[in-house]
Amino acid sequence: MKVKDVPQDDEFVQPDSNMLLRDLAYAVDEDGKYRDVVSAGWATKNEAIRFSHNNHGEEAQKVRKEVTDGKYSPLMYHIILSAMTTRMLADYTGLSKRKIHKLCKPKHFASIKADELSRIAEAMNISVEELTSID
Amino acid sequence: MEINFEHRHAAHCENGVVRNLLNFYGIKLSEPMILGLGSGIFFSHMPFYRLHGMAMTSFRYFPGSIFTRVTRALGIEVQWHKFKDPDKAMAKLDEVLAQGIPAGLRVGVYHLAYFPKEYRMHFNGHNLCVIGKEGDEYIISDPIGMNKNRLSAENLKKVRFAKGTTPPEGRMYYIKSTEHYKPLTADMLYKATRKTCSGMLGIPFPMFGAKGIAYLAKRMRKWVRLYGERGAAMNLAQIIRMLEEIGTGGAGFRFMYAAYLQEASQFLNKPEWNQLSMELTEVGDLWRDFSYHAARFFKKREGIILSYDDLADKLDVISARETEVFRKLENSIKRG
Repeated sequence: MKVKDVPQDDEFVQPDSNMLLRDLAYAVDEDGKYRDVVSAGWATKNEAIRFSHNNHGEEAQKVRKEVTDGKYSPLMYHIILSAMTTRMLADYTGLSKRKIHKLCKPKHFASIKADELSRIAEAMNISVEELTSID
Repeated sequence: MEINFEHRHAAHCENGVVRNLLNFYGIKLSEPMILGLGSGIFFSHMPFYRLHGMAMTSFRYFPGSIFTRVTRALGIEVQWHKFKDPDKAMAKLDEVLAQGIPAGLRVGVYHLAYFPKEYRMHFNGHNLCVIGKEGDEYIISDPIGMNKNRLSAENLKKVRFAKGTTPPEGRMYYIKSTEHYKPLTADMLYKATRKTCSGMLGIPFPMFGAKGIAYLAKRMRKWVRLYGERGAAMNLAQIIRMLEEIGTGGAGFRFMYAAYLQEASQFLNKPEWNQLSMELTEVGDLWRDFSYHAARFFKKREGIILSYDDLADKLDVISARETEVFRKLENSIKRG
C-alpha cells in the first residue's frame, strides 16, 4: 500500500470525540520506506461492519414479530438484539442455560423473579423497563 | 493520581500497550519491531472455535502472546494476574496503580463505553493500559485512540469480566523489573523470525499458517451450501472485520510485518529482507483487493460481483504467495 492510497472514509459516530479512535496504517512512501499514516477508516471495512450490524437488527425485527404473536418473550428479542447467546447470558447472570431458555417463553417470563430480571437487565446494560418491553 | 505515562497512538492494541509500557521504562522500540520480536503474525481459520456463532478467523497469535514473547526475549520480568472475584480484581489494580506502576488489562469490547455502537461485538481480546485514577474514574491509555481518556470504575469492571468466547477473567499484567534487560541483538531477531516462519509453515494441521488460507478458500466454496446466502455473507463480513478492523495496520498485519522486515533488514544489514518486505507488501495488496471485491456482496454496487468461488481463487493465490515469502525468509536465516 502506498501512502497516497491510505483510505480516509470516516463514517461512524464516536461516543468519545476527545479520545478519537483511529486506524493506523503502515504504508510505503515514495522512497520505498515504510511509515505509519493515520487513517479515518475504509469504506470497504465500514460496509462489512454495517452489514453485520444491520443483520442483527433485521434478525431482531423478525423475532419481534414473533414476540407480538406470543411465540417468544421479550427476553428473546433482547438476546438477539445484543448479539448474545443463551450461554453468554448464563455466564453473565449466573442463571443456568436451561433457565434462560425457559424464560424465552412468554408463560415463564410472566412469572420471573425481580432479582433475575434485574440481573439480566444489568448484563445487557439496559433498564428493567426496556427489558420487559419490545419498543 | 496519574502516572506520568506517554500515550502514543498505535495500530494494534496489544503491540501498542507493550510498546507504551516498555517506553515507560525507557526501552524504545517501534511498533513493527514489537510485532516482529513477538512473532505476532499468523493465520488460522478454525471452524470448531466460534465467535458470534461463526468460525474464528485470526491473523495473529493468541492475545497475550506478543507481550510474553517480547518481554521474555528482552529478559524483562513481568507479572500476570487472573481473578474470579471482580472486586478483588479492582482492588489489586488500585494497589498496583498506587505503587506508580502502569498496568495492562485485557478487556471485552462489547460494553466498552467509547466504542461506536457499530464496532461493538463480543470480542474479548482487546488490550488497554490503566495509568491513573481520579475519584471514581480511571485514566486509560488505549493505544487505538489518538488521546488518553477516562472510564468509570463500573464500566471498567464490566469489560474486565466480559463473557463469551475466551473470557478475559480480569487479566492484568505489568512489568515487575527491568534488572536483567538485554538490548536488542541480531540473535533475538533471528530467533523470533524463525519462530514466525515455523508457525506460518510448520504446523501439521490444515487450518494454521499460510496453508490455512487455502483451507479457508476450500471452506468458502461450501459456504452457500452450508449456511445459505445470508449466512455465507455474514461469514464473509466477519472475515473482513477481522482482517481490517481497527488494530491490524491494514491487511491483517501483513503491512506491519513488512515494515518490521524493512526495519530488521537495516538493523541486520541484510538487503534481501528488504526485498522480502516488498514481496509481503504485494501480498498485503492482494488481501486488500480481496476485501474490496468481497465488500461488493454487502452493497449491491454496479459492475461485476464475484462469486464465492472467484473469491476463493483469490485466497488460493494469496496462500501460495505467502508460503513463498515465508519459505524464502526461513531459507535466508538458514543460510545465515
